[in-house]
Amino acid sequence: MDILKQLQTQAEQVEVVKIQSESTTVEYEANLLKSSKVEQTQGVAVRVVRKGRLGFAASSDEHALDRLVANALESAAYGDKIPLEFPAPVPPPAVKTYDPKIAEFPIPRLVEIGQEILDILLPIEPEARINIALNRGVNQFSLRNQAGAEIAFQRSPLSISIELSSVKEDDILILYDMLGTTIWEENYIGFVHRLADKLKLSKKLTRVHSGHMPVLFSPSGGLVLGLPLMVGLDGKNVFTGISPLIGKLGSELFDSKLTLVDDGTLDGKFGSAPYDDEGVAHRRNALIEKGVLKGFYYDLKTALQSGTESTGNAARGLFNPPSPSVTNLVVEPGQTPLAEIIGGIENGVLVEDVLGLGQGNILSGAFSNPLGLAFKIEKGEIVGRVKNASIAGNVYDLLKDVAAISRETQWVFNNLSMPYMLLSDMNVVAKE
Amino acid sequence: MQEKIQEAIKSSRADYTEIRLEQKESTTVTYRGKNLETAQATIDVGGIVRCLVKGHGWGVATFNNLDDLKSRVELAYQCAQVAHSKEPIEIATIPAMREHVAVEMQHDFRDISMATKKALAERYNNVLLKYNRKIVDSQTSYRDSYNHFIFANSEGAYIEEERPMVAFFSAAIAREGDNVQQSHESRSNQTGFEYVQDLDELPRTAAQRALDLLNAETVKGGQYPVICNQELAGVFIHEAFGHLSEADFIYENPKAREMMVLGRRFGQDILNVFDDGSIPNQRGTHRFDDEGTPTRRNYLIKNGILVGRLHSRETAAKMGEQPTGNARAINYRFAPIVRMTNTAIEEGTTSFEEMIKDVKLGIYACDAYGGNTMLENFSFSSGYAYMIRDGKIAEMVKDVILAGNLFTTLMNIDAIGNDFKWINTAGGCGKGDQFPLPVSFGSPHIRIQNVVIGGK
Repeated sequence: MDILKQLQTQAEQVEVVKIQSESTTVEYEANLLKSSKVEQTQGVAVRVVRKGRLGFAASSDEHALDRLVANALESAAYGDKIPLEFPAPVPPPAVKTYDPKIAEFPIPRLVEIGQEILDILLPIEPEARINIALNRGVNQFSLRNQAGAEIAFQRSPLSISIELSSVKEDDILILYDMLGTTIWEENYIGFVHRLADKLKLSKKLTRVHSGHMPVLFSPSGGLVLGLPLMVGLDGKNVFTGISPLIGKLGSELFDSKLTLVDDGTLDGKFGSAPYDDEGVAHRRNALIEKGVLKGFYYDLKTALQSGTESTGNAARGLFNPPSPSVTNLVVEPGQTPLAEIIGGIENGVLVEDVLGLGQGNILSGAFSNPLGLAFKIEKGEIVGRVKNASIAGNVYDLLKDVAAISRETQWVFNNLSMPYMLLSDMNVVAKE
Repeated sequence: MQEKIQEAIKSSRADYTEIRLEQKESTTVTYRGKNLETAQATIDVGGIVRCLVKGHGWGVATFNNLDDLKSRVELAYQCAQVAHSKEPIEIATIPAMREHVAVEMQHDFRDISMATKKALAERYNNVLLKYNRKIVDSQTSYRDSYNHFIFANSEGAYIEEERPMVAFFSAAIAREGDNVQQSHESRSNQTGFEYVQDLDELPRTAAQRALDLLNAETVKGGQYPVICNQELAGVFIHEAFGHLSEADFIYENPKAREMMVLGRRFGQDILNVFDDGSIPNQRGTHRFDDEGTPTRRNYLIKNGILVGRLHSRETAAKMGEQPTGNARAINYRFAPIVRMTNTAIEEGTTSFEEMIKDVKLGIYACDAYGGNTMLENFSFSSGYAYMIRDGKIAEMVKDVILAGNLFTTLMNIDAIGNDFKWINTAGGCGKGDQFPLPVSFGSPHIRIQNVVIGGK
């Protein structure tokens, strides 16, 4: 049955989303290829606006479409009173999200890549225990609404993630890294070398003493600073009044070296697609430009509530209605070469990873985290790994003054492009 | 369905085959601020086939369409053929159970209208919003789900179980100028609608605490003696220690095996820790785990000494120990892995008054916002906390984050209270991609010496 047509007779606004995906995962556990998995997922999610009220329902059971329709209408009977309008069709931006090479990627090749990774990392640390998940898949997304939108696109995600652990006495070292792309990446092994370099540096343990010192955040460590911003820039948190950035559009809140952009139109990147999950075209949104707060990210509902337009940032899982989410987040590169930044540090810390990221009151911008993976910098050189220390601060204070941003950037956590960022004076608390 | 499942299993070419099917219906009502964010019902039907081919490995197929189970079994078998584990994978023997676990709810939430559920959530949400004008935002959720669960394997097990779940969550966000503070309270259990009635005290508590936090100073960083309340102590033992007791962390890893060697002293004689998936009316309880192993009480630490760990059939076989009933999966999209159920520090003998009276300067830390461990290093943020001055609870402090090394911290537990409590919150445990898994935490108050507190 055609759910769209059926619901259109009973509701003013109707949106029908279908997802279908298949994926293959090969998993190395403790250096051994112990399992592989195929997943087939399908489902339908429906939103309606009926008598001005919004309803939602979803089902992964294709035999239960009648109940899906009934659930959507019942949900609307009690739903939020909001004059949401699903968008009319617009042409998509040019963005590549599908590569037949990944769609048809053979399992034996995934197995081989896993072995290549082990062959790079194990010689450096023969006793390491390495878990690798290699996944390729094809996701199909389709959306139709009463305004005539008929969107369908596919993505071919390929992801490789590595977790390396090494236990010596009571010292446990864990390193992570991942690659995520939707078009085939010839240099698929590059991120493994980056992990290998960190592993080599990790072998020597050293100590820091408590005190104020320069702290350099690597691209992955930069998430400590980026996460509170992601929460603060979320249109939902701005609308509900809990973001500290509310009412500050146009103000210079951060160091002029800082530019932050959300961009869902970058070829092959994990957060990219022609449209967001409500059928609004993706685009490039400047959030912070040269330290000035330029915008927030919205989906249809939060934009309507805030009297503005959707920025194309709706994201959803099958069983949840959309909500604002970043696509690809890019901190623009700076002017200073990394070597020059490190070379200029007399006594400081390089932070790659912390424990407990995102816990505590991140809405306020505050963070306090023990260091997970971090290195000591002494007289312009990385001299060893440090643990048993923690950093604390508030990003809204700290980012007012960024001492340097590196020229070099890296993609981390699949959808973040980050440079190295130096804060000249932070409190480091060490357990002496 | 039973016949179809058993035929599909019979058709398998693997050494071991299991099928798990779930048919789950859920309702969610969520308020954010004064807006009803969602009142929705979802239907989730799906299954998983897992095969073991000796000399190769595990193969897994997951799916939403249950029509052709035989082809899914074949797919899983082909996946198993791809694997090439060097040592053959064995699984420990368990009895093949055939059982139908029925459930009795006093008040079956499937018979309750969406209107009633919405009215309940609205009532609690109003308690929050009307509490004080400084409460600028709220989140109030009601959730229920009913899962018809089937497990069958090639050894003859056939388990059918009804799994209800009901949850209430309430968060208050208070704001004064740029100062934004939040606090939350929640409850969840495997029961009926009766469990979430008369909970007005929870949103009131959350609202008052968020207001109190507006006036709290950030804690001064340093080393302190810390008294943890039951919830924080329970979350601590789960996160910082429990995860290391999961045998999949240990069994392939000689160094970790050394670190977690049975007989090693982990704490003082007063410390006893267990995990028990068989306790009635707890959130992490089931008669059988997701491999069909009966659940039971497993001591992990007895009189300060490490005495046990948690197993799946595979890890038990590998380490020559017994399966413990701890193989669990969050849903049909995942193969079971070693997980906790209801994890607790056993009751001690010290009263709260005795515990606090000798603390000159310390911290009373309550509830948990979140916890994170990198194996022996952990970090937890408490939901709220107070300074202890001269043996008495003094002013409230905020942003209290406890960090440290597990081994030294467990040894530093020098008092265990006589006020044990089980905590069933609406959150869940995460491991790998599998989140949230229902678990519960139990503990009395505990006192820990020399805890590093991050802060200004």
